Amino acid sequence: MDVQRIWVLTGKEIRLGLTSFMSIYVLVAPVVLSLLVALIFGDLFAQTPRLGIFDAGGNETLVQALADHPSIQTRSYASQAALEAAVARGSVEWGMSLEADFANVLREGGTVARTNTYRWGEAGTRNLMLIETAVARAVVEATGLVFDELPISVEVVQLGEASAATWSQRLLPLLLIMAIVLSGLFIPSSSLVDEKQKGTLVALTTTPASLLDVYLAKTAVGFILSGLMALIILALNNAFAGNPGLLLLVIALGGLMSSILGVILGSWSRDMETFMGIIKVLGLVLYAPGILEIFPQVPQWIGRVFPTYYIMNPLLEISRNAARFADIAADLAILLGFIAVLAFVLAREIQRQQQQLALEG
Amino acid sequence: MTMIQVSDLSLTYPGTRDPAVDGISFEVGQGEIFGFLGPSGAGKSTTQRVLCKLLQHWSGSATVMDRSLTAWGQDYFAHVGVSFELPNHYLQLTARENLKLFANLYPQDVTRSEDLMAVVDLTADADTRVGQFSKGMMQRLSFVRAFQHEPRLVFLDEPTAGLDPVNARRITDHLQTLRADGCTIFLTTHDMHIADLLCDRVAFMVQGRLALIDTPRNLRLAQGRKQVQVEYRTGEGRRQELFDLDGIGGNERFAELLRSEEIETIHTQEATLEDIFIRTTGEQLL
Repeated sequence: MDVQRIWVLTGKEIRLGLTSFMSIYVLVAPVVLSLLVALIFGDLFAQTPRLGIFDAGGNETLVQALADHPSIQTRSYASQAALEAAVARGSVEWGMSLEADFANVLREGGTVARTNTYRWGEAGTRNLMLIETAVARAVVEATGLVFDELPISVEVVQLGEASAATWSQRLLPLLLIMAIVLSGLFIPSSSLVDEKQKGTLVALTTTPASLLDVYLAKTAVGFILSGLMALIILALNNAFAGNPGLLLLVIALGGLMSSILGVILGSWSRDMETFMGIIKVLGLVLYAPGILEIFPQVPQWIGRVFPTYYIMNPLLEISRNAARFADIAADLAILLGFIAVLAFVLAREIQRQQQQLALEG
Repeated sequence: MTMIQVSDLSLTYPGTRDPAVDGISFEVGQGEIFGFLGPSGAGKSTTQRVLCKLLQHWSGSATVMDRSLTAWGQDYFAHVGVSFELPNHYLQLTARENLKLFANLYPQDVTRSEDLMAVVDLTADADTRVGQFSKGMMQRLSFVRAFQHEPRLVFLDEPTAGLDPVNARRITDHLQTLRADGCTIFLTTHDMHIADLLCDRVAFMVQGRLALIDTPRNLRLAQGRKQVQVEYRTGEGRRQELFDLDGIGGNERFAELLRSEEIETIHTQEATLEDIFIRTTGEQLL
């Protein structure tokens, strides 16, 4: 092994890799998907918050103020039952049932103003916060009271099935796996298959560079690109949170596992057709933990069966729950175990490939 | 000085019964161009792959540059150049970038690239992507790549395949210059003209064994007839007669022909390498 030669070969891999169709697809796909998810489900371009109101009477000024609010969409309902039904099916995210003369009672110094409110189970946190702020401001304007001293008792009833995560949060695990696995696995493997087919691999091994140097350079490229992609996806999804050192450690280990696996698969594959055939079978195994996260009703322990779970889960634990090293140590140990097994397989594969090149070269 | 010394080298591929190389022995001296000839499947490429350290699990002994082949590590290739029959370059890179990439893998300074590109007339295309090259241009680039680090020993496989006569001539002329500088060349080819022109010695391989090994001149003389053929024209058309070379100075008929007839050609009847190839291997050259 020679570090200087690995560096030269890594430069070549990056230069050639970034101009190949496969690389463009692998690097662009997760970013485009991330942006699409943000566009469709995410917080950045989320739909206008939807408020439903049933007015028992005498609150026209307050209702009008909410209807005129530029940041929310307000719908009025003829009965409390109609309001509840609308919230339950998600037509509005927040429902507010106003008692008769609610605003006047407050304005005249009434001590108790009770309001029943309803929250749609799948409503996003951002939208709920916007609605709450809009309602509070409208009440302040309608009553002339001070914001912090509103004598209101709020009872919230959740309607519809609850969901702790937004769609963008649910899709993040799959995007993360795509980012790490696609770039870590596809770029080294496709490059290796291409070099075998074009005969450049055997040409490299008749220089002072060894096959080990060549394989390590390809692993390094997969490792670097998967790390970069993971960071980009975390940043695009506002998930780069928690302990950054720990986050980088997990990304590095995930990238290492993916790139070693990629080099092994590329070495095994005679041509791109064979490689794509393997990926068709293996793809589901790799993406399964991310797919399971989309469906919270499926028992999540199933994800633990798949190796990529041990990349995905620690990343999510750190970014969502500010997990510390001790919290994810078990996952990392399993991930290291996978890496050790793959490294052993790779070492054997290098020996086999050396012989194979001699026979085919 | 001996550059390559091979003794009783044998190799059987896994899954096959007959050895691909069966107990061959030969030596190649420093500054020699050694031609390795034979039909496809005779064991030439296998021998070359063993000497290129690509194949392992062979038996016998092989010493290259005064060191057992098995004792050499990857540093072997700092002193050795290899050119393959089929060009294998990075098509997305230019010729110069390809050469630079490979040059950067050597521990020594590689400074001959530009000179060699000029030798094979590639300078004008040095910054063209290799994907746009013809097969001949790729072949010439392979030649430059094999020699740019100034190796002491070079393995060449069909170095003039796909080249036009002018470029083939450039290559053969330069190989002769390199030989004069002490570079040893192990040449595998089907081109008997190139072998005859370049090689100090040639070896014929048949079914994994060395059938013949000698200088082309000795083989031609040994395998040919010591006769001269005279072709002349008479009023009745073209005729030819054969004369023994021994005592030809006193041969009256020969002298009379030269005096009285319109001579068209006179050829000695030594064998060509092609004749020897066919006779030795029992196969026709394509």
